[in-house]
Amino acid sequence: MSSTESPSSVRKVVVHLRATGDAPILKQAKFKEPCFINLYLNLCLDDYGGICEILGTDKFAKVIDFLRRQLHRETLFVYVNSAFSPNPDESVIDLYNNFGFDGKLVVNYACSMAWG
Amino acid sequence: MNMEALKYVWEGSIPLQIHIHESEVTTVPAPPPALVSLLQWYIPTGVLFDLLCAQPERPWNLTVHFRGYPGNILIPCEGEDSVKWSFINSLKEASYIISGNCKNVMNMSQPDQEELWRSVLNGNLDGYLRVSSKLKLGIIGDQHIAASHLNSLKSWQSIGETDTTGQVKTGRVPVRLYVWCVGEDFDDFEDAPHIDAWEKISYINQPVEIQGEGKCFTLGDALKFLLPEYFRENSLIDEESSEAKGENEQKGSSEDAGGNVRDKDGEGLCENENSFQSVEAEIKLVRIQGIEPKLEIPFSWVVSNLINPEHFLHICVCVKVPQLTPYAM
Repeated sequence: MSSTESPSSVRKVVVHLRATGDAPILKQAKFKEPCFINLYLNLCLDDYGGICEILGTDKFAKVIDFLRRQLHRETLFVYVNSAFSPNPDESVIDLYNNFGFDGKLVVNYACSMAWG
Repeated sequence: MNMEALKYVWEGSIPLQIHIHESEVTTVPAPPPALVSLLQWYIPTGVLFDLLCAQPERPWNLTVHFRGYPGNILIPCEGEDSVKWSFINSLKEASYIISGNCKNVMNMSQPDQEELWRSVLNGNLDGYLRVSSKLKLGIIGDQHIAASHLNSLKSWQSIGETDTTGQVKTGRVPVRLYVWCVGEDFDDFEDAPHIDAWEKISYINQPVEIQGEGKCFTLGDALKFLLPEYFRENSLIDEESSEAKGENEQKGSSEDAGGNVRDKDGEGLCENENSFQSVEAEIKLVRIQGIEPKLEIPFSWVVSNLINPEHFLHICVCVKVPQLTPYAM
């Protein structure tokens, strides 16, 4: 849209992936993944999830697909802030700007419908 | 309570003519349609119509395909449940933007949730208001869509004054903005370049906070906030002549130079001495719920009356981007 490249368009967003209910926990700190997601070790990795980085311009669908592949499950319910499921076409940077806090976007995943 | 505008919006409809793609008719009669090709099913039909029909054709011709669902382009839709899920989640997202949480939606009883969904499906405004009022998602105080002053839509100033007496809740308004850029100018929307691929549309999901206690925050102000690169600092002066901007046909004739023209933020361009001359960018069209509101309308009125049932305001904007021509050396 704008010819001047705004910083947010090449920015990476830190996504915190948290398991909910009986969903498997992604315990690995490093994932062998294609280059569109770069992962780094988070020293504060808690028991409930993992951290990954994703390009702001990528769609939420990439987070969903990533989780499906990592967990080997087709059916997954993926939420932001334990609240709602964004449309897979939403860009990660918009979601981060609107719903992120403490420098990250919290994404919760469950094998069955967790929140309404 | 004056519900005139809301009723008009809820009673609005688009006639559709649906064609089955010839190559795919193998049975008589043809099976019921399964999907609409290349249209994003989770976007309100009216928004798609506003975007894809620059000069609205009626009926809107759609071609349906039953085979070859482009799963790599479109996200799956498994019937009414998918659409309902999408609606409820958008409602939760809007609620989160407005109130900071979506407990009100999550705590809805099953019958209420079902009634809300049914009323949207059936265009039943009364049923919808009955349930949605319990959610307390009013961004603007209810008084704004009530009261006799709305019977006369001539005096925007009086509405603006009402806005400042504390009846307007200052809050964040969920907005979905769809922008498409055209490279060539056009006077008549029949000549407008058509959008033939969804990728040509820039979609932004960004809330707008109504600001300013001493003056009326207009639709133009909201757009300036959402698309700062297309508005000059002194665009408030330009909005006075936005009467023509509201009309989509006569643009070519309203050549009052400064009137409709916006400077593109050309810092990258101007600094480069031997490079390019920019022609100013211009907002050609703003469409909400199939209408082209004047930019000086109070944004709070737009929100109260033109918002979608899931509490998002969908705004379609067409921008003519500057043509870059190199300086002669």
